[in-house]
Amino acid sequence: MSRAEELVLWLRKELGGNLISAEATAPGRIFVDLKREALVTAAAGLMNRGARYQVGVGYDARKSGPGFALVHTFAFDKDSLLVAIRTFAPGDDPEFDSLTPFIPGAGWSEREYQDLLGLKFRNNPNSKRLVLSDDWPTGIYPLRQEVPHDLMPPAAEEVAFRLEEAPPGTSIVPFGPFHASLHEPAHFSVYVDGEDIKGCEYRGFMTHRGIEKLAQTELTYNDIPFVAERICGICGSVHSVNYAQAVEAAAGIRISRRAEFIRMVALELERLHSHLLWIGVAGHLIGFDTVFMQAWRIREKIMWLAERLTGNRKTYGMVIIGGVRRDINQDRSQDIRVVLREVEREMLSLEKAILKDRTIHKRTRGVGYLSPEEAVKWNLVGPVARARGLSIDARRDHPYAAYDEVEFEVPVADSCDVWGTLVVRLKEVYQAIRIINQCLDKLERLPRNEPLSVDLEGPIPPGRQGLSLVEAPRGEAVHYVLTGEDNRPGRWRVRAPTYPNLQAVPAMLLNNKLADFPIIVGSIDPCISCTDRVLVVERSSGQARLLSRQELESISRQKRSGK
Amino acid sequence: MNATAVVINLIYFLALAPFLEGVMRKVTARIQSRQGPPLYQPYLDLLKLLGKENLNAAGHPVFRLAPLLAFASVLSAVALLPLAGWSSFLAHSSDLMTLIYFLTLSGFSILIGALASGNPFASVGASREMMTIIMLEPVLAMTLILGVVSSGSLSLLPATAGVSATRGFSYFLMMAVYLVALQAFVSRQPFDIPEAEVEILEGPYVEYSGPNYALFRYTLNLKRMFYSWLFVVGFLGFLLPEGPVLNLVIQTGLVLVLFVLISVVGATHPRFRMDQALKFYAGLVMLSLLAVGLRVKGW
Amino acid sequence: MWLWNKIKQLAISFRAGVVTLRYPFESRPAPEDFRGQPVWDHAKCIGCAGCANHCPARTIFLRDICQEVRILLYDSSRCTYCGRCADLCPEKAITMSDRFELATDNRQDITQTIELFMMTCQRCGRCYDLEIKNYIDRLSRLGYRYDSLEVRKVIQRSTADFSPEELEKTIGYERPGRLDK
Repeated sequence: MSRAEELVLWLRKELGGNLISAEATAPGRIFVDLKREALVTAAAGLMNRGARYQVGVGYDARKSGPGFALVHTFAFDKDSLLVAIRTFAPGDDPEFDSLTPFIPGAGWSEREYQDLLGLKFRNNPNSKRLVLSDDWPTGIYPLRQEVPHDLMPPAAEEVAFRLEEAPPGTSIVPFGPFHASLHEPAHFSVYVDGEDIKGCEYRGFMTHRGIEKLAQTELTYNDIPFVAERICGICGSVHSVNYAQAVEAAAGIRISRRAEFIRMVALELERLHSHLLWIGVAGHLIGFDTVFMQAWRIREKIMWLAERLTGNRKTYGMVIIGGVRRDINQDRSQDIRVVLREVEREMLSLEKAILKDRTIHKRTRGVGYLSPEEAVKWNLVGPVARARGLSIDARRDHPYAAYDEVEFEVPVADSCDVWGTLVVRLKEVYQAIRIINQCLDKLERLPRNEPLSVDLEGPIPPGRQGLSLVEAPRGEAVHYVLTGEDNRPGRWRVRAPTYPNLQAVPAMLLNNKLADFPIIVGSIDPCISCTDRVLVVERSSGQARLLSRQELESISRQKRSGK
Repeated sequence: MNATAVVINLIYFLALAPFLEGVMRKVTARIQSRQGPPLYQPYLDLLKLLGKENLNAAGHPVFRLAPLLAFASVLSAVALLPLAGWSSFLAHSSDLMTLIYFLTLSGFSILIGALASGNPFASVGASREMMTIIMLEPVLAMTLILGVVSSGSLSLLPATAGVSATRGFSYFLMMAVYLVALQAFVSRQPFDIPEAEVEILEGPYVEYSGPNYALFRYTLNLKRMFYSWLFVVGFLGFLLPEGPVLNLVIQTGLVLVLFVLISVVGATHPRFRMDQALKFYAGLVMLSLLAVGLRVKGW
Repeated sequence: MWLWNKIKQLAISFRAGVVTLRYPFESRPAPEDFRGQPVWDHAKCIGCAGCANHCPARTIFLRDICQEVRILLYDSSRCTYCGRCADLCPEKAITMSDRFELATDNRQDITQTIELFMMTCQRCGRCYDLEIKNYIDRLSRLGYRYDSLEVRKVIQRSTADFSPEELEKTIGYERPGRLDK
C-alpha cells in the first residue's frame, strides 16, 4: 500500500463524516476537503505522521462556493507526496481553528488571511497586523472579491505600527526599513544589551505590489508568467516556472520534454547566478568586499550567458503555459558549455580561497546557530535547512520538470550556522553545473521537431486545484493555483522560500553579537520582495508635499525626545 | 625658518592626504578587478561635501563643534611632526605628551560628536570607537616611549629618532606591533569596526552631512597619513644629512608604499567583530609592553 | 598558512585583471536576440490589437476615435521588455531592438504612436483572433477599443460596433478606487 493510499484510509477512519472528499488528481498530490471542525485533528495527525507544513492559502469563494476557503498544504518529503487540506467557512462566520499553537510556521499564513480576507483564527497567539500597511482602514479586506484591485485608501500619517517595548536591561537598535545590510525594505527592531542581541521583532511587508490580486482580477493565464517573473529580483524564473507548472497540473497539460529540459537549464542558471550573488553579498556583509567583487565577476559570465540565451540578463521571459518560448540550439549549447567550464575552473580556486581563509571562519562559524530540532519546528527550507542537517530538496524529493532523469547530489552540512550555509551553497554551484551539462546532453539527443510549447485546444476548466514546488536557490517555493473563470486563475498563491526562513530569523539572532546581524539575516538570503508580493497597497497620499528643512529637523528631534 | 616648517607641514599634509586616499581606493579597486575612481576623486568628494548643506539633526552645539575640534586637533598634531627631519619651532614648547594628547583629542571629538547626535548606530559606533582608543593609544604611547628610553628625552625629534636608535629585537617587535596596529589606526579592514558600513552605517558619522562630514573625512585622511608618517619617521628614519627636500621625497615614497600595503591588507580581510578585535588588541598591548621592557634591557 | 592563503587570493584577483568597463564612455553592445525596446513598423502594422491584448504590463493602448481611425500608443516607461508583442504579431511588424539606454526626462521620447487607417471587417469589425492557435491566448477583447491615452490605462471594454457613446464616456476617464478621507 502506498503512502498516499495509507493516508487517505487513515483520514477516512479518523475523520469519518467530517471528510468531504479526498482525491489524488496527479501522482504525488492529494487534495482533501474537510469540514472545518476537523481541521485541527487532520493537521495534527498529518504532522504526527512526519509532515512538513508548507503554507496556508485563503480565498474568497463566496460567489461560486460555500464561503471562504482555507487550504493548508503539507509535504511528505520521503514519500514525494503533497497533501492539501481545504476547509470552508460561511461568509458571515469566517472563523477557523488556528494551527499556530502546534505549527509555529503557520503563524504568518494565518495572520496574512486575517489581514487580507478578514478570516478569524481561534487561539492564534499573535494576531498583530502582518501584511497590510499601518494606515490601511480596518474593515476593508483587499483580497475579497468586491474590493477592486486598484483601490487606494487615503494615507494616514499619524498611524504607526506599534512595536513592542524593549525588554528590561536592553535597548533597541532599529535595523531598517533602509539599512545598508538590508537590500530591501524590512524592519528589525533589535534588542541589544551592549553588543549582544537579546531578541528582535520583525515588521515587513512594506513592498506589497498586489500581484496576486492583480492576477485574479486583471491578467490572463499567459500574462502571469511574465508578472510572476518579476516577483523576485533574483529567482524570477523559479516563479514563472512554478506558476506554469501549477496551472499545467490543474489543467492536466503535458508539456514536451524539450521544454522541460530548457526550463531546467533556465532554473539551474538562475541557481548558479543566485548562489554566486549570495557568496558575494555574504562577503560584503562581513566586510570582505574583495570576495564580493570576485564572486560577482564570475557571476557576470552567467549573466552574459543568460542574456544570449534568453534576450535578457535577469528576466528570462522563457516560460509560457504549455512550454517555453525560445529554443537552445547547438550553438547556444556550445556557448553554455564553454562558459560553464570557465565558471567551474574559477569557482574551484575561489572556493579554496574562501574555505581556507581563517578570518572568514572567525566571522561565520558558530554564528546564527539554530539546532536541527528548531529548524524542523520552523519548517526551514533550502540551504538554510540543509546547513542544519535536514536533507530536503524539492528537486529530489518531489521531482518536477525532468529532474528525475538527471543525477545530482544534495549537499548537506551539519554545523547549523552561517558557515554551513556558505559551504552548502558553494557545493551546490557544482551540482548546478552538473545538471545543466546533463540537460544539454539530453537536449542534443531529443528529436529536433518536438514543439517548444503545446497548443491548448480548449479553455482551462474552472475550479481545479494545482500545487507545484520548485527548488529555488533559497529553498522550496510553493505555488498554489485554483483555476477560475474568464481565462484567469481564481486564486494564485505564491509562497517564496524566504517566507518560512524569515520567521526563524529572530531565533537565529538570539545571543549573537550585533556585528553579526547582517550576516545572519543575510545567511537566509532574504528575498523580501518575494515574501511581500501580496497586496494592493499603494502608500502615496495622492499629493506629494515637500518638507522644509526646519520641519524635517523638528520632526526628527521630536521622534528622539519622544523616546 | 622653523615657523615655515610648521606651514610646510600643514600645507603638505592638507594637500597630500586626500591623494593618499585616492591611492588606497585605486589599489583596492585593482584587487577587486575594478577600474576604480581616478586618483583625484577624494578631492572632488571633499569639494562636493563642502558645497552641501549642513544638516544638524541633533540640534546640539556639540554636534557642530565636534568636527571642528577633531580637525583642529589633528592639524595641531601634524604641525608638531618632525617632517623630513625638520623640527618645527613648536617642538620647543611641546613634547610627546602633547602629541598623544592631540591625537586622543581628535578621537575623543569623534566620540562626543557621535554621542551628541543621539543616533543609536552612532552610539554603538561611539562605544566601539572608545574601546578602540582605550586599547590602541597604549600601543602608540609605547612606541614613542621606546624612543624615549633610547634617547632619554621627551622632545619630539630625539624621541622619534630614538625609536630606531638600536635595531635590536625590541625594534623589530615594536615595528611588527605598530604595523598591525596601523591597520586599526587608519581604520581599514579587519579593524574598521567603529565605522562598519553594513553593520552600523559608518557608526559615529551616521548623522553627519555636508561640510561637517567633509571635515571628518579630511580628519580621517590626515590621521591616516599622520600615523603612516609616524611609522616612517620612527622606524624608517634613514635621514640623509644634507637634503631636506630629498628626505621629504623619500619619506613620501615610503608612506605611499605603506598605503599600498594597508590597502592590500584591507582588501583581503573581512572585518573582525569587536570581541575578536579586543583580544587581538590586548595581545598587541602586551607585546608593545614587552618591547619596551626589552629596550630597557638594551636588546 | 595565512600568508599563503592571502597570496592566493591576490593571485585570483590579479589573474582576472580589470573587468569593469568605463561604461558611459565606452558602449556595451547588446547581443543578438536581445530584448530591447520594441519598435513598430508603421507599414506592416494592421492594427489587429494582438500586441495590446497580450501585453502583460498593459503598456500598449488602442483607441478607436471613429470607424476608420485607430490610434495605437506604446508607452515604454512601464514596459517590461518581455517581447510577447513581437512574438504574437501576425505581421511581424514589431521587432525587439537592441536599444536599452532609455532613461529620459521626457516621456514622449519613449512613447510610440501610430495612427492606423482601418478597414471594417464585414463579420466582426476587427479580425485577428483566429491567427492564434493557443486557446488561452485567443480569449481576448475584439472589436472596437476605447483605452485612455491620457491616463495610459487599458479600459477593459470593447464593443462589436463602433460606439460614439463609449468613446464619449472614456474621454474623461479617471482611475477608480481612490477613497476619500
